Amino acid sequence: MTPASALFGLTVLLYVVAWSVEVTFLFRGGESVARRGAMLLAPAAACHLAFLALSIDDMHATDIHQVLAIGSFLLVVSFLVAAWVGRAKWPKLPVLAAFITPVTLLFFLLAGFRRGVGTVPDDVRSLVLPIHIAVNILGEVAFALAFAVAVAYVLQERQLKKKKLTGLFQRLPPLETLDTLGFRLVSVGFPLLSLGVVSGALWAVRLDPSAPAIGATQTFGLIAWLMFGGVLLLRIAAGWRGRRAAIGTMLGFACTCVLLVGYVVRGSGA
Amino acid sequence: MASELFVVGLSYRTSPVALREKLAVPAAELPAAVQRLLGEASLEEALLVATCNRVEIYGVASDAAASTRARGWLETPVGVGALGEHLYERNGKEAVKHAFRVASSLDSMVVGEPQILGQVKEAYAAASAGGALGGLLDRCFARAFAVAKRVRSETGIASGAVSVSSIACDLAKGIFGNLQGKRVLLVGAGKMGESAAKHLAKQGAKLFVLNRSHERAQQLAEACGGEPRGISELASELALCDVAIASTSSDRFVITVELMREVVRARKHRPLFLIDIAVPRDVDPRVGEMDNVFLYDVDDLGKVADENMSARKREAEAAERIVESEAKDFEDWRKQRDLKPLIIAVREHVRVTLAAELERTLPRLSGDKDKDRAALERMIDAMVNKVVHHPVAEIKAAAERGDLDVVVAATRLFPAVAPADVEGAPPVAAPIRRRT
Repeated sequence: MTPASALFGLTVLLYVVAWSVEVTFLFRGGESVARRGAMLLAPAAACHLAFLALSIDDMHATDIHQVLAIGSFLLVVSFLVAAWVGRAKWPKLPVLAAFITPVTLLFFLLAGFRRGVGTVPDDVRSLVLPIHIAVNILGEVAFALAFAVAVAYVLQERQLKKKKLTGLFQRLPPLETLDTLGFRLVSVGFPLLSLGVVSGALWAVRLDPSAPAIGATQTFGLIAWLMFGGVLLLRIAAGWRGRRAAIGTMLGFACTCVLLVGYVVRGSGA
Repeated sequence: MASELFVVGLSYRTSPVALREKLAVPAAELPAAVQRLLGEASLEEALLVATCNRVEIYGVASDAAASTRARGWLETPVGVGALGEHLYERNGKEAVKHAFRVASSLDSMVVGEPQILGQVKEAYAAASAGGALGGLLDRCFARAFAVAKRVRSETGIASGAVSVSSIACDLAKGIFGNLQGKRVLLVGAGKMGESAAKHLAKQGAKLFVLNRSHERAQQLAEACGGEPRGISELASELALCDVAIASTSSDRFVITVELMREVVRARKHRPLFLIDIAVPRDVDPRVGEMDNVFLYDVDDLGKVADENMSARKREAEAAERIVESEAKDFEDWRKQRDLKPLIIAVREHVRVTLAAELERTLPRLSGDKDKDRAALERMIDAMVNKVVHHPVAEIKAAAERGDLDVVVAATRLFPAVAPADVEGAPPVAAPIRRRT
């Protein structure tokens, strides 16, 4: 077993432990369990970083696994930073760890299923590819956070509609906070995704001018782009918010996940 | 007899309000009342808790009749014997446990309500101001406050609101988070609606009062610190507000589905929390099915209150365990405290005896090693005789009259030298070797 694979296993284990504590808090347990659950993410993130440091040499610039490993790390770190910075304004934010950790874990596990790496011929290398990868990683992080917020929104709204005001209702953040956060995150993610789609199309043309402009996996990228664009447009133009916006966000994120899984299964470039 | 802590009193569990109100003591008069109690009932320490749900005297005295005198003092406003069966009394550890339960809101009508802790703290401050607190009650109530804090932080006894006003407030916070600057619209002039609106306004919400009669709206707005609105402004105000409380006496729906469709469009789907406290209802129940509208009527609020109360009762079991353990710790401390004077006296007696012998011996020391050794051995014999003379005499006397308890106690006190054949004696330790 290499040090990198040992760190990979340890990171997965720490994420699983953190997630089990977070889920425990979601259904039972006090504030201290929520804090502990969120705090457990910190050592997991540290291991994750150590894994990245060890593996970075093995990874290729166009490697989807690298994208997923870095993206999932940025996701957990940005959540921890947001929970820390917003602890006074949004004291219930750490509970969202229960929805963010599984997404992080999924991305990280996908990063572990390596199937061979595509290489980029020297004659087509350009600045478009790193830009494409960077904006896609950042956009995906914003959408993953928005997804967690949307899941919490749907659950909280359901509790209120069903008039069940114990347990989950007491632990989840207020609806308006979730709605506002979700909107802000999609607003950040959408321009990044747009840039990602455009740079991706440019890159694809540069790589193989004879290939079709849109393949099966790219279709999901476009659907996600339309979904998030729709959520934003309807919110701004028609005040579309609340549950519908949350479900739109969840579907958009699901499309981006399908896109990523497609790349992983194909086992080639980003 | 060592000083004992007791509590005598009556509460909503044992007496009607008609009786309790006769014993009421205004907060401002508590220090004077507790001072009177201290003198008239001849107590060493006293604390008087007087709330709308309970009147209790916590006292400390070294005679058994103290609680009877406290009962008599309590009966003064209503006549001797009038409280009879309504009074309860607890002594020692049970009294301490009762104080802990009261402060932790485990004995309250609404389990977990926070007011009682403040009231007990007021009683404590009054007793302190009245010079009625000594070591025992002071420590007991300091612990009671710590126990109450522990119970609130370690159990969910105080979670989940149980009154209409506080449930409305909890729900509004669950939707909007901070209520600062949120608009609350009170439709109608029902008492319960007014109370809920005031509760929300206390959290920083802006209040608007809407009524068929503008004059009534004006009056209510002044009473609640809000702004009046006419009934014709219902739709426009609903479009602007965040929380609406309907509490009219109308026999038809005041807020209909048709009206709300327009309102929701005008609000651009911003969430609206509708509380319908009216009976018959003011809001068409179908309104609750609309997106981003959260409708709660009286029954819904009642169910929430019941669920929260059940949850609190479940948590109360954990709280009782905390109280029991803390009461035991307090009792252990009290026993140690009662023994302390005896231990100090024993040590002082031995120290004074030994010091006197030392003073007598020192002038006789000459510097001659053999003579000084003989003098010091005589000093040791004299010290031993003086220190153990009385205990040995007592052991002999006890043995003569067949009181084996004293003999066994002696073997427990001096296990190193006790003979092995005394029944109940601990195992004999190895003899202590004298240094030569």
